[in-house]
Amino acid sequence: MAEPTVRVSGIVLSSLMFQHVNRDSDVEGLILGESRIEEQVTISDSQADHIHIEEVYNIQKHIACHKLNDFYDNVGDVNVDAVKKILAENKQENLIGWYRQRRNTDQQMTFREKVVHEKLKSALSNPHMIFVLLTPSKVTSPGSTHRMEYAAFISRSRCFMNVPVLVNNLGLLEQLAYWKVSAPFSAAGYNLTMKKHSAKFFSSNGQLRDVNEVNKMNESLQSELQKACGDVEESERLVETLQADVSALRRRLREKKQSSVGKASDSDDSPEQRNLLLHEAVRALFACSPLFHTQTLTLEAFPVPAVCCSVEPDEDESMADAQETLSLLCPSRTNCRKRPRETQPLRERKRTKSNS
Amino acid sequence: MSPEVALHRISPELRPLLCSVVRNGRVGLDSTNCLRVTDLKTGCTSLTPGPCCDRFKLHIPYAGETLKWDIIFNARYPELPPDFIFGEDVEFLPEPSELPHLVQWDAGNPECLLQLVKELIQQYHHYQYQRLRESSRLLFEYDSLLEDPNYGRNMEIYAGRKNSWTGEFSARFLLKLPVDFSDIPVYLLKDTALDPGEDVALLSVSFEDAEATQVFPKLYLSPSIEHALGGSSALHIPAFPSGGCLIDYVPQVCQLLTNKVQYVIQGYHKRREYIAAFLSHFGTGMVEYDAEGFTKLTLLLMWKDFCFLVHVDLPLYFPRDQPTLTFQSVYHFTNSGQLYSQVQKSYPYSPRWDGNEMAKRAKYAWVTAWKVFAFCMAKVNSCCKYLKDQSDY
Repeated sequence: MAEPTVRVSGIVLSSLMFQHVNRDSDVEGLILGESRIEEQVTISDSQADHIHIEEVYNIQKHIACHKLNDFYDNVGDVNVDAVKKILAENKQENLIGWYRQRRNTDQQMTFREKVVHEKLKSALSNPHMIFVLLTPSKVTSPGSTHRMEYAAFISRSRCFMNVPVLVNNLGLLEQLAYWKVSAPFSAAGYNLTMKKHSAKFFSSNGQLRDVNEVNKMNESLQSELQKACGDVEESERLVETLQADVSALRRRLREKKQSSVGKASDSDDSPEQRNLLLHEAVRALFACSPLFHTQTLTLEAFPVPAVCCSVEPDEDESMADAQETLSLLCPSRTNCRKRPRETQPLRERKRTKSNS
Repeated sequence: MSPEVALHRISPELRPLLCSVVRNGRVGLDSTNCLRVTDLKTGCTSLTPGPCCDRFKLHIPYAGETLKWDIIFNARYPELPPDFIFGEDVEFLPEPSELPHLVQWDAGNPECLLQLVKELIQQYHHYQYQRLRESSRLLFEYDSLLEDPNYGRNMEIYAGRKNSWTGEFSARFLLKLPVDFSDIPVYLLKDTALDPGEDVALLSVSFEDAEATQVFPKLYLSPSIEHALGGSSALHIPAFPSGGCLIDYVPQVCQLLTNKVQYVIQGYHKRREYIAAFLSHFGTGMVEYDAEGFTKLTLLLMWKDFCFLVHVDLPLYFPRDQPTLTFQSVYHFTNSGQLYSQVQKSYPYSPRWDGNEMAKRAKYAWVTAWKVFAFCMAKVNSCCKYLKDQSDY
């Protein structure tokens, strides 16, 4: 019985994940590599021979599709021309399967994936094809940790089975197997390849080019950040200065108000400021009305006209007008005598003061 | 997750499709509730501003089970049709060409997803039928019911997992019974707090083993129908007979339910006739009566200057069950402050009489009854007077 296994190198798997991890939708593509079936015969004391068939799929490369549903339609019918177009200069015999990455879903093949897989097999006349499924998902709700799960599937008689994926160079190490220094590799072919391609990856000082580029980008980012910090500091200082100015202005205004209030309270003893225009108007209208100037009321609350006292100390009202008005108004009155003007003594005092 | 929350979180381009599913999505026989959506997630990166959810789990009631299917869209490609993961039914693989709404997927048609789900359910039904073939006995049950147009068109089957220990295979049949509920009086149907929905009666029959030695039937009624028939305890269906088969049992249950419904309908008409007859015989003494359900009436009668009330309560299964008479004094109170009353059940009555005959017989029979009641009231009166005199003394 064949036991299928999928093998992939760490570089290919990580590049597959890396290429798509930032894509904003599901992605899919084709997988290139080789598949082989090995027959192992083991002879042991208990059995004469034991035939062990191993089906191995080696993933060596992947080609991403530019968009979803690129080589099949709504019902999963495969367009072989589209597949060839995606393959470009790669050979069709190296096509061993296809892959899909979908975020936040279960690690199970969907309805359409199963249909497409079966139709791809029949369209390319290759019964040995694999489907690789990658399902990244969030582990924690704030998104601080993400999980990238991967699995491979093959179909046998329209039944899909999960196949173990083994990543080359990764395996359980025993304690003794920890190496302190990397073992030297002296194969000529390896050295030749490294010489040919290392210039693309390593700079003249032996550092990885990408690392240098990333460091440069980091430095630019830091200088931009520092500039931004400087701008923020400058604006904060400006704000501080403005706030100090505003506080000083407020303080001055407060002091001014307090001093003006103090001056106003000093002049409380002086006679009230008189609105001369109002006085003139009132005088013009009511100068001859003894009722307007009286401070005396009858028991029935009628005003008792009195001799009008003019606002100007040197003007006197006529008594005759007052008398006439009185007779017209009310026959009963209690007092028609003018109340003594209380302001006279004060003015005299004032005169006294001014003289001195 | 409420429909509003789901609609709020889904990507705007996919919202119309989901809206018709959560608001109008009634699928299958058990269509009392709409389809439910949970586990709304996104296929976009976590940096994509929301709402951008484009994949969710859809809960579909089917044959007494709840199917949980994953439906996967892509928010960046809203024009593409969805993909599905059919939960635990990993072997369910419908033929895509037999899904017209998948072949001609129209993202602009809000009903497209719902129609596609219905087509998938039909395919799922066929898939379950194929699984039922593992048991010839259960297959026979299904085929015999299918031949009867009353039941075959409204049937869902679910073939359970084979028990790996016992090798037993179980299945459930869910049938919609063809009973007409349209003549049930409206007043019986309206007093339910739940959304009435469609009035439906579903019979679920579970076979715990393939040889039908353990069969458990259960009848499900809409809340309004259950209320109209007198509650969940009012209707008991017979047990599945040993060695029996569904083609004999289901019509039996159907007939039982139909009889019950007819009884309730006739009871309503009989009560109305009864009340009408009493109105014509005791019209001047009628205080009040139930003009909607015709379940009770109250009369004010007088005999030799003695006035009293007569309350007549008609039960749900009238005329099979006799109405209850309650004589009530308008003068006397009990110690607890209630009007003195006396229940009278023994009077001439026959369920075969019509309403007019019942009213006439009641009139003659009550003459004796209310004389006795009046005598009792007189006794009560004299006792009260004696006690009062004693207290005054």
